[in-house]
Amino acid sequence: MQPLLQIKALTKRFGALDVLKGVDLDVHQGQVVSVIGSSGSGKTTLLRCVNLLEEFDGGDILIDGEAIGYRTEGQRRRRLKDRDLSRQRAMTGMVFQSFNLFPHLTALGNVALGLIKVKGMAKAEARALAADWLGRVGLAGHAAHYPSQLSGGQQQRVAIARALAMNPKLVLLDEITSALDPELVQEVLQTVKLIAGEGATLLIVTHEMRFARDVSHSVVFMEKGRIAEAGPPSEIFNNPRSPRLIEFLRSSRD
Amino acid sequence: MDYFLHELWISRFALAEGFLRTIEISALSITLGTLAGLLIGIALTYGRLPLRLVSRAYVDIIRGTPVLVLVLACFYMPSVFRVSLEALTAGVLALTLFCAAHMAEILRGALAAIPPGQTEAARSIGLTFPKILAYVLLPQALRAILPTWINTGAELVKASTLVSIIGVGELLLKTQEIVGRNFLTLDFYLVAGLLYLIVNYSIERLGKTIERRVTQP
Amino acid sequence: MGYTLHFGVVWASFDRLLSGLALGLGLGLAAVAIGAVIGLAAGFASVGPSPFWRRAAGLYVTVFRNLPILVIVLVVYFGLPQWGIRLDKVESFVASLAVYAGAYLTEVFRAGLLAVPKGVIEAGRAIGLTRLQTNAYVVAPIMVRNALPALGTTFISLFKDSSIAAVIAIPELTFEARKINVESFRVIETWTVVSLLYVSTCLSIAALLRALERRFPKF
Repeated sequence: MQPLLQIKALTKRFGALDVLKGVDLDVHQGQVVSVIGSSGSGKTTLLRCVNLLEEFDGGDILIDGEAIGYRTEGQRRRRLKDRDLSRQRAMTGMVFQSFNLFPHLTALGNVALGLIKVKGMAKAEARALAADWLGRVGLAGHAAHYPSQLSGGQQQRVAIARALAMNPKLVLLDEITSALDPELVQEVLQTVKLIAGEGATLLIVTHEMRFARDVSHSVVFMEKGRIAEAGPPSEIFNNPRSPRLIEFLRSSRD
Repeated sequence: MDYFLHELWISRFALAEGFLRTIEISALSITLGTLAGLLIGIALTYGRLPLRLVSRAYVDIIRGTPVLVLVLACFYMPSVFRVSLEALTAGVLALTLFCAAHMAEILRGALAAIPPGQTEAARSIGLTFPKILAYVLLPQALRAILPTWINTGAELVKASTLVSIIGVGELLLKTQEIVGRNFLTLDFYLVAGLLYLIVNYSIERLGKTIERRVTQP
Repeated sequence: MGYTLHFGVVWASFDRLLSGLALGLGLGLAAVAIGAVIGLAAGFASVGPSPFWRRAAGLYVTVFRNLPILVIVLVVYFGLPQWGIRLDKVESFVASLAVYAGAYLTEVFRAGLLAVPKGVIEAGRAIGLTRLQTNAYVVAPIMVRNALPALGTTFISLFKDSSIAAVIAIPELTFEARKINVESFRVIETWTVVSLLYVSTCLSIAALLRALERRFPKF
């Protein structure tokens, strides 16, 4: 079966710095894949390339077999037009480290905006669906609250609802608990486990090793812009092979 | 075009005279206004209650009144008391009042932004209040308001056009006189506009340069 | 001194002063509304991708911030007919005040735009909004909220600047005051009352704006 997400030989430079040096990764429908690695290994950049928030220099990203971000004219790659990029972005949902809720909209408004403006839903329908999603992330009572009236954990759960309500094929989670106070981390991780259990396809960048072990079908260890090791969580965490992964796991245990 | 250049050449002395008068009025009122404004600003921040109230009323009334009304009031009001102010004096007075109110408010803001710990520390080493003001508070506040102060200069140059209404022969009035003679209305107003633009743009650049210096500690 | 205050004449013409005040408020409101449209467009242009429009916006701000309003008013009312552009008094004054206000509001909106967090813009793009939609539904509302206090201050200052309309004989407050001044020679009374009318209006608007600001959610 064709993988939902195919990343082929992806390269990305920031000036003189090679951030991604040829990354290959497949994610199948319904799979949960976690990307781990030290900061600066390129894992966040990888996610941002998949969401087309970053341009990339070489390689291809395909979702459901459709190459995203670029088209090839003869020998030349050309970035797609804004409208096409937006349509392709809507195939993936993204949850950010710093929540990035729209501060001028209520929790409900945050979830409904994309439904109305991107999906073209009628307002009443969109609001009903948004309310439904807020209920699923445990925030039914907070629909009318503005982001500034919510805790970090609640904001992040609204952000998850906002991403999922768009019914994306793939959800990207970028260190979604790193900006949270420790006591708020669990509620957000519980929410992610819930949606993973419902069969969502997730690509997760995380520092929470226990969470990655619990929730993932597959774990990818990135090191200096490359995938250094990949496999099922039992293999990665119990039988790490490369010395760098062993060292990384030891340093992140405490 | 030739006609315009010819007229421009004829008018060169009138324009120069008006231009210098504009600069003179602006410079005079910013100098006097700044001095008065600093005193009022200190009164506004540290004065006893009655003094604070009086200076607050002054600042609010002047800042709430259009400059044109100040100009007209300064021109007409003294005549009632058998004091006749020359138009130039009345104009400078109005702009000075305006400048002083703004400077007072700006200084108050800057003084209020200095952490109270500064005063406490200065007091603890035995400085009296006037000395604290002179050596600790004012140097910081003045440094902070420098860029704003320079922009006030540009505001005054702009406001100085309003004294043309009471017949002070500054740049705009001179321009109007020239226009009344040759009917090159647009051309000469644009010349005047260009002159104002040059002066104020220079002031703006100066302000930006100084702001960069000031913000670098 | 021998001058006794007589407010009677001024009170007799108080309705004229009030209608002048209303006209001044109207002029200020019209100017801030049009100026805000100009300022929004130029503000977006000033942080936009096109170097040409960035330059153009910068030039506009530099020119109109540094010109005296009275000069703009005289150019528009007396000068532009030379190029065949004829506006009536009120139109030409509102136009002058609006382009002047637009220059200030461009700076206000520009600062408001730069204060919108980059992550929030990315979040808009991430759910599939186009660049234009992101600007309209995410960036603009946040920016306008950021700019609200400055918008209010601009309106107050434009209301005061509406006094300059007296120069081209628009019957607003200052114009009426001059007329009463000339008719009655109650100089002190007239200018005191007029000044207090301006001051109390400015203070009321400021208070109103503070109340309005509190009603809108802070981010």
